[in-house]
Amino acid sequence: MLTEVKNQIKVNILSTKYALEREMLNKVTFVSNIIFMILNNASFIVQWVILYAIKDNIGGYSFKQVLLLWGLAAMGYGVSRFFFKNAFNLSDMINTGKLDNYLVQPKNVLLAAITSDVEVSALGDILYAYIILLIYGLSLKSFLLFTLFGITAGFILASVSVIFSSLAFWFGRVEVISNTLNSIMTNFATYPEGIFKGIIKILFYTILPLGFASYLPVQIMTNFNIYNLLVVIFIVLLFIGLAFLTFYKGLRKYSSTNLMNARV
Amino acid sequence: MAVITVKDLSKNFKVKVKEKGLKGSIKSIIKPKYNIIKAVKNISFSIEKGEMVAFIGPNGAGKSTSIKMMTGILFPDKGEIDVLGLNPEKDRRKLAYSIGCVFGQKEQLWTHLTPYDNFKFFGAIYDIPEKQVEKKIDEFRELFELDEFINTPVRNLSLGQRIRCEIVASLIHEPKVLFLDEPTIGLDPVVKEKIRTLIKRMNKEYKTTVILTSHDVSDIEKLCKRVIIVNKGQIVLDDTMENLKYHYLNKKIIDAKMKEKVNLEDKDGITILKDKDYNLKLEVDLKKTSISEAINLLNTDNIIDINISNVPLEQIISSIYKDGDK
Ligand SMILES: Nc1ncnc2c1ncn2[C@@H]1O[C@H](COP(=O)(O)OP(=O)(O)OP(=O)(O)O)[C@@H](O)[C@H]1O
Ligand SMILES: [Mg+2]
Repeated sequence: MLTEVKNQIKVNILSTKYALEREMLNKVTFVSNIIFMILNNASFIVQWVILYAIKDNIGGYSFKQVLLLWGLAAMGYGVSRFFFKNAFNLSDMINTGKLDNYLVQPKNVLLAAITSDVEVSALGDILYAYIILLIYGLSLKSFLLFTLFGITAGFILASVSVIFSSLAFWFGRVEVISNTLNSIMTNFATYPEGIFKGIIKILFYTILPLGFASYLPVQIMTNFNIYNLLVVIFIVLLFIGLAFLTFYKGLRKYSSTNLMNARV
Repeated sequence: MAVITVKDLSKNFKVKVKEKGLKGSIKSIIKPKYNIIKAVKNISFSIEKGEMVAFIGPNGAGKSTSIKMMTGILFPDKGEIDVLGLNPEKDRRKLAYSIGCVFGQKEQLWTHLTPYDNFKFFGAIYDIPEKQVEKKIDEFRELFELDEFINTPVRNLSLGQRIRCEIVASLIHEPKVLFLDEPTIGLDPVVKEKIRTLIKRMNKEYKTTVILTSHDVSDIEKLCKRVIIVNKGQIVLDDTMENLKYHYLNKKIIDAKMKEKVNLEDKDGITILKDKDYNLKLEVDLKKTSISEAINLLNTDNIIDINISNVPLEQIISSIYKDGDK
């Protein structure tokens, strides 16, 4: 059992490594992808500096908390897109029969599929996230918590995408829906929680679990609470479980395809 | 001992039908219509250890679909499959350790890596210790003559070299059964021959059971002792290559060039395939008549040139395909 898990992780790490190597073949694009992502992110923060110059509390968040929120949003985005890029292309892979190769290998199909590609610019997001942490205030505790919550946020985002994308097994073309939900998660992750009310807030603690990816972690980092930490970890495991469940349930309906069909 | 047993296997595909235009698109969202494609219908067969079986049939016959069910890619709608004592539906991962697959129309290798690194990656996928993989690669490198390109990134290889590597990659874990779905598609005759040698060698050295699909009759003729022909999702013939040929070897083709036109009519055992100007083509059924009988009909003084030949396997097979269409 333990060696099985070890071998599984070894293969997934190798797969990510090879995908990264491929992206690094062209060094100029590789580096510029990362730098542009950092600049792109940094440009947004200027808006907030201006906003806070006028008003010193937005949606219940202080400037420092907004920094954290931004940092965690970038971390979650970076981790999910770098390590699990294909979790965000999964419906397309299902519809075009790209799971065949992984299905004939003695490893976990879902993990093999989602780790088979990396998004290089996501490294820029991760780097940017740590720059924000520096501005926020670096300590061993803040570093460890920030890293942990970055990873849990990444897992949540990837799991949610896997769940929505797996609907392709039943309904075919669901890219529009899953892409929309994914970008909602990305965009709203940077807004303070306090500006959302009612049904939207409920959504953020259920099917679009930004609350557990960002808001609760921000709260824990500014006001540590072990109980909340356990909640976050529990929720992450729950979403990972749901992702595997939905995917494997759908896999029974997988219809593969011929290359000919794929071109249509 | 049977390595593969398939019983009453069936698979349908549900395909959404979309009418033309915007109206059709809207209609297909509100009230989708489906076409049911019966890709595989109640097929049964079994394959023994070490056999090389050709699994052939016209386009869309259901070959790939059947192979995908035997390898655990697709779930059957109905029927039973047993491969090496395992049920592909339930024991997919366990089964994967003992089977190898090559789909000529899909690639499995990382194109930016060299074949050598790819093979090592496959070794890791199958949990083979590094030392052992390296030994295996050395063995294959010699057996299958890979030296020339084993350290060139796959994207710089020719199609033939790439397919050879795809096959080798599928052999790294010494599978007991190998599924090859059109491994020779798009290759030139020389490379095809190389691939055939590779497959033959592997079957001989490792007693690997091979299931092969191909539209190239010479692949089948040169490799397989047994042929399963499917058409429209059903098995229309399951026999040895020898029987298949023998059955039709009872027929000969006579091509003759004549001095003047002869008026012939179909006779018992003699069928006129072509009668154009001074060229005649007859099929003679030796069970009913003889070659000399046929030649006598032609009037020997009248013959400029004559050629008597067997019915080519290609033609045998296509006539079986056509029988299935009736
Ligand atoms: N994923 C799919 N969805 C819908 N229909 C499919 C799918 N895969 C195959 N089919 C249909 O099922 C039938 C059998 O297809 P299959 O690919 O098994 O044929 P084949 O014998 O391999 O043909 P070929 O020689 O062209 O490869 C065809 O009518 C095909 O259109
Ligand atoms: Mg096919």
